[in-house]
Amino acid sequence: MSSVTVIPLHDRERAAAERASIDGSCRGPVLYFTASALFWLLAGSILAIIASAKLHSPYFLTGIPELTFGRVRMAHLQAVSIGWTSMVTMGGSVWMMCRLCRTELIYPKLLYVSATLWNIGTLLSVGGILLGDGQSVEWLDAPPYAPPFFVAGLGIVSAWVAATFRRRREKHVYVTQWYILAALFWFPWLYTVAVFMIFWSPATGVVQPIVNWWFNHNFLGLWLTPVAVGTAYYLIPKIIGRPIHSYYLSITGFWALALFYSWAGMHHLIGGPIPAWLSTASTVGSMMMFIPVIAVGINHHMTMRNHFHRLKYSPALRFTVFGAITYTWVSFQGSIESLKDFSEVAHFTHYTVAHAHLGAYGFVTMIFFGLYYYMIPRLTGREWSSSTLIRIHFWCASVGITIYFVSLSIGGWWQGRMLNNPDVSFGNITRYLLPYLFSRTVAGILLTIGHIAFATSFVMNLAGWGKKRTGGPTFFVEKVA
Amino acid sequence: MDRGMVIFLGALLTFSSSWLGLILFPYWQLNNEKPYQKEPGDDPYPMPLQGEALAGRKIYQANGCIYCHSQQVRSEKFGNWWDENGQEHTGADIKRGWGSRRNVSRDYIYDNPTMLGTMRTGPDIANVGSRYSEAWQHSHTFNPRALNDWSIMPSFAFLYRKEKVVGERSEKALKLGREWTVDPGYRWRPSASEWDAILQQSGDAIKSRYLTEPTHTGGIDPNTPDGKKRLLDFWLTTEEEGIQIVPTGNANALVAYLLALRKAEVPVPEAKE
Repeated sequence: MSSVTVIPLHDRERAAAERASIDGSCRGPVLYFTASALFWLLAGSILAIIASAKLHSPYFLTGIPELTFGRVRMAHLQAVSIGWTSMVTMGGSVWMMCRLCRTELIYPKLLYVSATLWNIGTLLSVGGILLGDGQSVEWLDAPPYAPPFFVAGLGIVSAWVAATFRRRREKHVYVTQWYILAALFWFPWLYTVAVFMIFWSPATGVVQPIVNWWFNHNFLGLWLTPVAVGTAYYLIPKIIGRPIHSYYLSITGFWALALFYSWAGMHHLIGGPIPAWLSTASTVGSMMMFIPVIAVGINHHMTMRNHFHRLKYSPALRFTVFGAITYTWVSFQGSIESLKDFSEVAHFTHYTVAHAHLGAYGFVTMIFFGLYYYMIPRLTGREWSSSTLIRIHFWCASVGITIYFVSLSIGGWWQGRMLNNPDVSFGNITRYLLPYLFSRTVAGILLTIGHIAFATSFVMNLAGWGKKRTGGPTFFVEKVA
Repeated sequence: MDRGMVIFLGALLTFSSSWLGLILFPYWQLNNEKPYQKEPGDDPYPMPLQGEALAGRKIYQANGCIYCHSQQVRSEKFGNWWDENGQEHTGADIKRGWGSRRNVSRDYIYDNPTMLGTMRTGPDIANVGSRYSEAWQHSHTFNPRALNDWSIMPSFAFLYRKEKVVGERSEKALKLGREWTVDPGYRWRPSASEWDAILQQSGDAIKSRYLTEPTHTGGIDPNTPDGKKRLLDFWLTTEEEGIQIVPTGNANALVAYLLALRKAEVPVPEAKE
């Protein structure tokens, strides 16, 4: 073991007081962001189950235009991408940035405005889609009256994070801060360009899907991924009490991601009516993604080495490490998927849907769950009241996403093989997929049970049911090694 | 990396590279494509959607059709499969009859939004306008399972109106048996006791109607269980008396849009392989 620097008691007390004061300044806005996000997660889960059930039981809820498959499918995506993941990304970024800059949040009230704008936008988006204003532009289905709310809300968060960074008392800039700064700079640019070129001043013909897929892929790659990876970089060393393995691997991982991820989106249009060089350029970008992914994977793994037994005790660590490991695998899979031979089968099938959920749920959402379990007690001053609820949440989430991924990957792969063979009738392909689609509904119900357990924990914590924080966090097993 | 400016400039440069390469360059290359005219005086291809078809695109958009139906026929060289003899083949899209050629960027210059789609839970419909009649499209939109029992497509019965026939049946009325029209969106079948009651009331009329069908298979005795079932199966395929299902304006618009989808028909030079 490396030598441990003993910090004098009064310094530790001072540091603890400083942390408490920073957490206090963030409490209101960050809890507002995270509570809203959780609400949208639940809404998105219900929409997901409806959409999923309709694909194997087409008579389920037939006849209600608001609940027709296409609308529910669009509303689900908006609820979980704009409502859930984006709101955690913003709330989590604000808190981690304040913590790492060792500075209090200034003018916290304006962040209430930001979260409110974002909630109004999401409500208009989800509600508008169900009522028939969906745009059928993948990931950007929000009706035209919603984007201004997102742009305004996002602008405030970006400005606040930048201002916090400017006021930093800690000279050293940690890797998490790079990721957060970059994400909050990229996403407004990305979003505005996409909305501008598709809706406000629409580009001609296939330029739209090109912009669309550049946006979609970067939504995960330059918005959710950096903040989720940054969160893992923050939480793992914090929980196990040990610094990150290698500073240089962090740098490699960051810059390689910045350069290559942004080029990766066009393989979603492979074989389509776009110039072939575009798909090829994206295949190169996707293959180069092995570099940052391996760098981050090694860095996280080496940091965790000899500390894996702590997964038994710490809920936050368990979720975070699940997400961090999934990041490596889902990224490897993504790189392989961009290859033409592979895409010829997997494209246009549920295989891609499985991959997208492994990324957005198995990786991003799981790390964000870890962030909640770590961050919320520090904001409310109360521990989680029930380790059983956390256990239910973890097992439902991990088993649910596994069933989801495995069933749709297998079903989707054979769907692709059969689609390529004109001797197989379309009816047979549809019939073949039914059991896999049914498994997805089972997975969705499991995930939702986990989310309900999670939301219950969260509400109990806010309501003051947990014991006051006196130092030790909630563990799965009370005896800590 | 303790300086904010390094992070800012790096983030700016890396992202600019993809913005220039993947957005601005294709924009410059593709944004001003013109319609194709073989000879001067020919109708240019493609033509912008107009009237009902244009309104129909909104219905297509609002109901998220893109999430199951792509609109892009791929090259004859794309996607391989092997037949029983182990022979390799490619180009299933065209062989499935989804289009007579691959799609090129020019096919989409009047699309807004351009709904290429990335999912084929349902078949590709870039060229669906040349594949089915208007009547087929209406029946299929009303309840896809009336035409394909395996279909998992949603019913869009909410785009249709069920009404009493006043005078003549409307020309546009759907030609579907009562099993599809009694409870729009669902498949209806009376319970055993309901069927007994119906037979009690109008059994003779149904039977004599059955016997006038050119396809009937001889005598039928509605008193035997088998005869009862056969008569029911027949009766369910007959139209409801005095009731018709007619498309609303939105259904007409949607079908007009589907009929206008003919993206892989007119030959253009760049689609040659």
